[in-house]
Amino acid sequence: MAGMMLRVSSVHKSFSEPVLTDISLHLKEREVLGLVGPNGCGKTTLLRIMAGLETPDRGDVKVMGKVGIVFQEDRLLPWKTLWENIALGLKYRGLRGEELIGKVKEYSEMVGLSKSDLALHPRKASGGTRRKAALARALVLEPEILLLDEPFTGLDVKARISLREALRLIWSEYELSTVIVSHQLEELLLLTGRVYVLTPKPARIAEEISVEGMDLKSRLDRVKEALYHILSRTPGSEEPLS
Amino acid sequence: MTSAQRGRKGMAFRVGRLLAGAFMLVIWISASATGMLPGPTEVLVYLASMRPEELFAQVLKTLYNSITGFSLSFLISMALGLISHKSNLIMGFSEALSEIFNSTSALVWSLVLVAVMGVLSPLPPILVVAAVTLPHVLTATVSALSSADPGLLEAIRAVGAKPSDEFFEVILPSSVPLLVSASRVGLGTALRISVVAEAFGSSGGVGYMIIRSYNLADASGVLAWSVVLIALVLGLDQLILKPIERRAKRWLE
Repeated sequence: MAGMMLRVSSVHKSFSEPVLTDISLHLKEREVLGLVGPNGCGKTTLLRIMAGLETPDRGDVKVMGKVGIVFQEDRLLPWKTLWENIALGLKYRGLRGEELIGKVKEYSEMVGLSKSDLALHPRKASGGTRRKAALARALVLEPEILLLDEPFTGLDVKARISLREALRLIWSEYELSTVIVSHQLEELLLLTGRVYVLTPKPARIAEEISVEGMDLKSRLDRVKEALYHILSRTPGSEEPLS
Repeated sequence: MTSAQRGRKGMAFRVGRLLAGAFMLVIWISASATGMLPGPTEVLVYLASMRPEELFAQVLKTLYNSITGFSLSFLISMALGLISHKSNLIMGFSEALSEIFNSTSALVWSLVLVAVMGVLSPLPPILVVAAVTLPHVLTATVSALSSADPGLLEAIRAVGAKPSDEFFEVILPSSVPLLVSASRVGLGTALRISVVAEAFGSSGGVGYMIIRSYNLADASGVLAWSVVLIALVLGLDQLILKPIERRAKRWLE
C-alpha cells in the first residue's frame, strides 16, 4: 500500500434500488483522479462513501489520511461571511486568534479570494467566489485527500479558468491527492492524470484510462470513445456529458 | 424589474396605506356626525388633557404585561421545541397542548385566572398573554427548528462540527427569520390580548383604563385609550419589530 492514499474494494450500495455494484478503485499519493459517467449513475454517492458520509452495504474503503470534501452546491452558511465560513472548521478544532486568522488568510489567498470577497455573505458573492470559498473551507483543515464534486458546474468560462488555476497552484504547493467528479469533461481532463469511467446506474467501473502524457484532444477522444461505447450498450441512454 | 418600476410600486403601496388610514378616519367622522360616538376632535382634546405621567404609567404597565407574557410563552416554546426534536412523546405533548390552548379564548383565560388569583393580582394579564400566544409561538418554533437545511448540517459535520455546533451554527440561525416573524405577530397579539385581561382586573394598564372609562360612561375616554392602544401596537410594530425582522432576514436578501 506504499504511496496509496485511498482504496475502494468491491463496494456495493443500494438505496431504494442498487446504485453502486462492485466498485474497486485506488488513489495514489499526489495524484489527481477523475470519475466520469452518465448523469445520475452514482458518482456522487461513491464520493460520499469515500468521504465517510455514506456507509457501503458491502465492500471496504481504506483512507490513508485526512479527507476534505467540496460539495457541488457550495453549502456555505448564508448568515456568515465567506471569511467566517472558511474559519468554521478551524474554530471547531479549537484554533483562535492569530493562528486562525493566519490560516484563513493563507488558504483564501491560495484559492484567489480577495479581502473584499471574504467580507461578503454567500448570496452577495458570485458562483466562482462561492466555490473558491467552499474549496478554502476544505483546504484550511489541511487534508491529505481532497474530494471535489462537480467543482466547475454552474461557473462561467472565466470562473472555471480561475478555479482551475487555483487548483493547480494548490497542488504545486501542498501534498494533496484529489478525486474529481465532473461532467465538464474538458475541465476534468485538463487536470487529471487518470480517469475511471462508470457505467449507468447501477454503476460499476467500465474502464480505467491513464491520460498522462496525452494532449487534451487525445484525452477527450479517448474518454468520449469509452463513454459512447458504454452508452451504446445501454438502451435509452442519452449523451449526458459536455 | 427596473429601479423606476420598483419606486412606482413602492409609492403606490405607501399611498394605499395612507388611504386605509383616511378611510378609517372618514368612517369615524361619519359615525360621530350621527352622535353615536365622540369625534376625533373631542378625543384629541381628551388625550391632550391626560396627565403625561398617567399615560406613561398605563402604557408601561400594558407593555410590561405583554412583553413578560410573550417572553414566557417564547421560553416555553423554545424549550418544548428543542425537546420535541429528540422525543416523540414531547412532540405529541406539545401538539396537544397547542391545540387545547388554541381552542380556549382569551376571555375564558381572563375570567378563570382573575377568579383564581384575584382582581388585585398582577399575574392574570401576564398569564393570559402567555396562554393565548403560546400555540402560535410553539407551532412557529417547532416548524422553525425543523427547517434547517440537512445539506448545511452535513457540510459543517464534514469540517468537524459537534451536535452543539450544529444547533448554534445551523439550526438556530436558520430558525431566526421564522422566529422573528412569529414574534412580530405574537407581540402584536400579546398587546391586544393583554388589554382584555387588564379589563377584568384592577392592576392598571390601557385595558383597565378603557373599561374604567366605559363604566363611567365616558365615551371620549374609551376612544382615547383605544387610540393609545392602536398607536402603541402600530408604533411597536413599525419602529421596533419590523426593523428587527428586516435585520434578521438580511442574509436572505
